[in-house]
Amino acid sequence: MLVVKDVSKRYGDFTALQQVNMEFNTGLYGLLAPNGAGKTTLIKMLATLITPSEGEIQYNGKNILEMDEQYRDLLGFLPQQFGYYKNYSPKQYMLYLAALKGIGKKEALQKIDELLDKVALSDVVNKKMKKFSGGMIQRVGIAQALLNDPKILILDEPTAGLDPKERARFRHLLTELARERLVIISTHIVSDIESIANEIIMIKNKQLLYKDSVEKICATLNGNVFETTIDFDYLEEFRKKYVLLSEKQEYGKMIVRFIHKGAPEMEWNSVPSQLEDVFLYEYRDVIEGEE
Amino acid sequence: MMRIIINECKKALTSPILIALFILFSAFNIFVIISSSDHKEELKMVNEIIDQYGKDITDNSMERFESDIQMDFAELSRMTGSEFTSVYEFLDGLRFEDQEKYNDEQWEFFNRLQLKEMYLNTAKSIDESYGEIDIRKTAESEIKKYGLSGNAAETLMNEYDKFSERFDEMVNNGEHKQWFFAGKAYFMHSFLFKTVFLHIIIEALLLIVLSTALITTYEFENKTHLVAYSTKRGRKLMKNKLLASLAIATTIIVFLFAITLGTFFTVFDYSQIWNTSISSAFNWEYNFPYVAWWDLSVGTFLIGLIALVFIVLLLFVGLTFALSVVVKNSYITFFSIAALFIFMWLLPSFMPTSSILLFVFAYTLPTLLLAIGSSFMGSSGLIMFENFEWMTISCWTVITLAVSFMSYIRFKKIDIS
Amino acid sequence: MRILWNELKKIFTWKTMLLLLFINSVLYFLLIEFYIEYFPNGSEVYSYNIGVEMVEKYGATMDENEFIDFQKTYEDKAEEATQYLQSREDAVGNGLDTYEKFQAYDWQNSSQKASDLQGDIFFESEIDLFWELQEFERLIDFYNYRKSIPDVLTDNQRARLNELIAKEKFGVYTEIAMSNFKHFIANVGVAILFSVVLVISPMILKDRSRGILPLQYTSKKGRNLLKTKLLAGYIATFLVITGLLAVYFSLYSLNNTSMFFKVHVNTFIANESWYDPTFFQFIMLCVAAIYLIGFIFVTLSMSFSNVVPNLVSLIGIQIPFIVGFLIFGLSRLLPYMISVWNPKWLAPVSYGSMIIISFIIVYCLVKREKKVDVLM
Repeated sequence: MLVVKDVSKRYGDFTALQQVNMEFNTGLYGLLAPNGAGKTTLIKMLATLITPSEGEIQYNGKNILEMDEQYRDLLGFLPQQFGYYKNYSPKQYMLYLAALKGIGKKEALQKIDELLDKVALSDVVNKKMKKFSGGMIQRVGIAQALLNDPKILILDEPTAGLDPKERARFRHLLTELARERLVIISTHIVSDIESIANEIIMIKNKQLLYKDSVEKICATLNGNVFETTIDFDYLEEFRKKYVLLSEKQEYGKMIVRFIHKGAPEMEWNSVPSQLEDVFLYEYRDVIEGEE
Repeated sequence: MMRIIINECKKALTSPILIALFILFSAFNIFVIISSSDHKEELKMVNEIIDQYGKDITDNSMERFESDIQMDFAELSRMTGSEFTSVYEFLDGLRFEDQEKYNDEQWEFFNRLQLKEMYLNTAKSIDESYGEIDIRKTAESEIKKYGLSGNAAETLMNEYDKFSERFDEMVNNGEHKQWFFAGKAYFMHSFLFKTVFLHIIIEALLLIVLSTALITTYEFENKTHLVAYSTKRGRKLMKNKLLASLAIATTIIVFLFAITLGTFFTVFDYSQIWNTSISSAFNWEYNFPYVAWWDLSVGTFLIGLIALVFIVLLLFVGLTFALSVVVKNSYITFFSIAALFIFMWLLPSFMPTSSILLFVFAYTLPTLLLAIGSSFMGSSGLIMFENFEWMTISCWTVITLAVSFMSYIRFKKIDIS
Repeated sequence: MRILWNELKKIFTWKTMLLLLFINSVLYFLLIEFYIEYFPNGSEVYSYNIGVEMVEKYGATMDENEFIDFQKTYEDKAEEATQYLQSREDAVGNGLDTYEKFQAYDWQNSSQKASDLQGDIFFESEIDLFWELQEFERLIDFYNYRKSIPDVLTDNQRARLNELIAKEKFGVYTEIAMSNFKHFIANVGVAILFSVVLVISPMILKDRSRGILPLQYTSKKGRNLLKTKLLAGYIATFLVITGLLAVYFSLYSLNNTSMFFKVHVNTFIANESWYDPTFFQFIMLCVAAIYLIGFIFVTLSMSFSNVVPNLVSLIGIQIPFIVGFLIFGLSRLLPYMISVWNPKWLAPVSYGSMIIISFIIVYCLVKREKKVDVLM
C-alpha cells in the first residue's frame, strides 16, 4: 500500500503541490488534471526522482526514500519524455536497463522477447532505435517499465503517440496488469482511463480534489447536466449564462450540453453526468485561462 | 531577421562560461603586460630623443645629439671629478664602496646618460652593421639550415633576390634610420607582436570556436531542432546562426584587443613612435633586423596586424561553422578544429625539403596566425614571401566560403530527426 | 558488472576512438616526435657514444681510479688529434701542430686562416675526433667541479648537495639521455592529459542531456549508478593511459637508452635530486605520476560533467584548469618532481592535496546525487 502523507513540493517561491494526502492499493488509478496542475511533480515524487519539501511517501509503512533500491525494485516507470541511445536496438537498450534493474541476463533476454512481443515490436528487435517512430519509441518505453515485473507501475502520459488500435490494445494490457498490482496512469485524455480505472484522482489548486470511483465522481454532478437545442444566435448569450460542456451543430441549430445547478427549464433534457463533464466543470477556469 | 540574429547571439552572450573565460583571459593578459613592464620608464628615452631630434636619424640630428651628450659628459666629469668620454668607462671603473657617494638624482643622471649613449652608439654603427648584411649569404644559410634542395632552394633563392632589391631600396630610403626602442635590450617588437598578440589570438580563437560551435549546434543539443527547423525561417536559420557567430566573434575580438592593447599602450609609451618605420635599425632583436617588404610605420604595421588577425579569426568562424553544421556536436567540433589547427601548422614539416610544396603548404591560417609578428617581413625564414599574407588570406577566404556554402547546402537537404 | 560494462561501452564509441587517434597523431608530431626522431640530436651523438662507453666500462658510477682511466682515454685521443693536425699543412703552418696548441689558441681573436681551419675540422670535414674531444673535455670539467656548490641556494638545497657530495654521488655522466627523457615524458604527459579528458569528459553529461536519467534513477540500481559511472570513468582512464603509454614507450625504445637505466639520477650531470632512484626507477616514477595526473583530472572532468548544462560549458570550464596546470604544474610535477631546484615538499604536497581534493569531490558528487531533484 502506497501512502502519500502531507506532501508539499516547492521550487524556490513556487509551490507545485501543497499538503497532499492519498492512498493507493492494488488496482488502476487514473491521475487526471490539466497541464501544470502538479501531476508530473506528484509522479516524479512517487518515482523518487524528486524529494518532497515536506511530508513523506510510504510503502507498507516505510518511507520510500529510505527503502531505496528495495522500493525501486518494485517500481516500473515510464516518464513523459525519456532518453534513449540512438545507436542501440530496443533489445540492447532494454538489456542495459535490465542490468540497471538488477535482472539477470538470461532472464532478461527471455523477458525482453516476451515484452517486445506484447507491444508488437518483435519484428524490429534488432533495428537501431534512431529509425523508430514516436509510437514505437513509446511502446519501447512501456515495455521497459514492465521489465522487472513491477508491483507499482507508474506511467506518465503513456498513450502519447499511440494510434487508436494501439491505444485499445494498451488499455487491455493495463486492465490485465492492474489485477495484481498498483498502476498509476497520469493523463489528460479522459477516455483513456474512464472505462478501466478503479479510481480517479483529480488535483486542483495544488491540492487533491477528488479521489474516488468514476461513478461517485460523476454523481457529484448528477441532475445538473442538461442538453438542449438552441438557436445559433443565442449561443453567445447562453455561453455567458451557463457552463458549457460541449456544443454540436445540427440542422442549423445548436445542441448544447451544459451544467446548471438550480431549477431546470422546460425544454432542457437532464442527462447522466460523465467523467469528462466533471473534468470540464472543475477545471473550467484553468482551461479557459489556458485559451 | 535582425531579431533572429539577436536571439542567436544571446545564446552565446548569456553563457556564463564564455563570459567567465573572457574575463579570465583579459585579466591574464593584463597580468602578463604589467608583469613585464619593469623597463617601461627606460623606454620613454626614445620618445624624448624623437621629441628633441626628430624621428629620422640624419647627420644633422646626430650632430646635435652628440654635442648634447658631450655636454652631459662634461657634467659627468664635474660630478665625478675625472674625465670620461663614456659613461660606461665611469661605471666600469666604479668600485662597489664608491656607489654610495652619489645620490639618487645623480644615479638617475648616470642611468639616463647610459641610455642615451647606448642609443647614440647604436645609431652611429647603423651603416657599418647594414653594410655587413649580405642577403645572398643569409639565403644560403637559410637553405642550409633547413636542408633545402632542388626546386625549394631555387624558389627561396629567387625570393631572396627580390628581397635583396627591397633591402637596398629600404637602405637608400633611410627607413632604417629612425628611432625605435632598442631591440636587443627590450625586445619590444617580440613582446607586443609575438607574445601579446599570440595571447590574444589563442584566447580569441578558443572563445570564437566555442561560441560558434555553441550557436550552430544549439538546437540539436537542446533538442529544439525539430521545432526550429520546421518554422517559417526553417533551415535558413543556419544563415542567421552564421551571421550571429560572426557578430559574436567580432565582439570578442574587438573587446579582447581593446582591453589588452589598451593596457599595453597605457603601460608603454608609444606616443612618439607611431611614425617610426617598422624596419628601423633599432628593431633588431636577433641575427637579422626586422625588414618589411613595404615602407610601413609602426602604427600602420599595428593596424595591418590587427586587420590580419581579425580576418583570419573570422575565417575560423566560417570553418568552425562548416564543420559543426556537419557533425552537429560542439564537443567533436571543438577538438577537431583544435587538431586541424595543429595539423595544418605541421603540414610543411611533412613535405619533402626539395619540393616547392614545402612553401605552398605553409600558406595556411595557423602558420599565419602563429607567426603573426613576422607578417609583412622579408626577414621571416620560410614564410618570407612577399605574397604570403594576401595569398594566404585570399586562398583561405575562398576555401572557407566554399566549405561553408557546401555544408550549408548539404544541411538544407539532409534529414533532421 | 554488466552495468559497468555497459557504461564502458558508452565511453568507447568509435567516434571517440577516432577523435582520440587523430588528436594523438597530431600531438605526437607536434610534441613528441622530435625527441624520438632527433635523439641524439646532431653533435649530441658524441656525448651519447661516450656515455654508453662509460657505462659499459665503469658501470653505474665512476670512481677515482676509473676517472684516471677515463682521462687516459682522453689523452690517447688527444694524441690522435695531434697526429691529425700534424698531417695537415694548414695546421702546421699556423703553428697549431699539436692538439694542446689547438685547444689553447685564442679563438676569439683568431686569424682568418686559423678560423678557416677550425671551421673545416668541425663543420666541413666534420672530424669526429675533435667533436669527441670536446665532449671529453666537458665531462672532465664536470668531474673536476664535482664538489663545488652554486652560490644561490636555500639551506635545504645546500644540505642536500653536501649530502650528495658526502655520499660521493657526483653528477659526472652525460645528461643527454636524461634530459631527452624529461622532455619526452613531459610531452607525453600533455598528450595523455588531453586524451583522457577528451574521452571521459562528456560521459555523464551525455546521459543527462539525453534525458535518460529518469529511467536510470528509477531502476533498482537507482542513483548508485553514478558510482558505477565514476568507476567506469576511472577504468576507461586507466585503459587510455595504459594504451597510450604502451604506444609512446615503444616509440621511446627506439632511442636506445636502456644502458643508462641502472645509473642513478644524481649521477647524471645537473640532475641533483632529493632522492636517488635509478634512471629506470625514475621512469616508473614518472609513469606513476602520469596515472595520478590522469585520475585527478578525470575526477575534475567528471564532476564538471555532472553539473554543467552543455558541452561547450564542459570544454570552457576545463580550459583554465588544464592550461593552468600545463603552465605552472606539469614541469614541476612530472619531469622535475624530485629535482632539488624545486622545494622537496612541492611534489608530494601537490599530489597529496590534489588526491585529497579528488576524494572530497567524489564524496560530494555521490552525496549530492543522492538527493538532487531530477527535473530534466
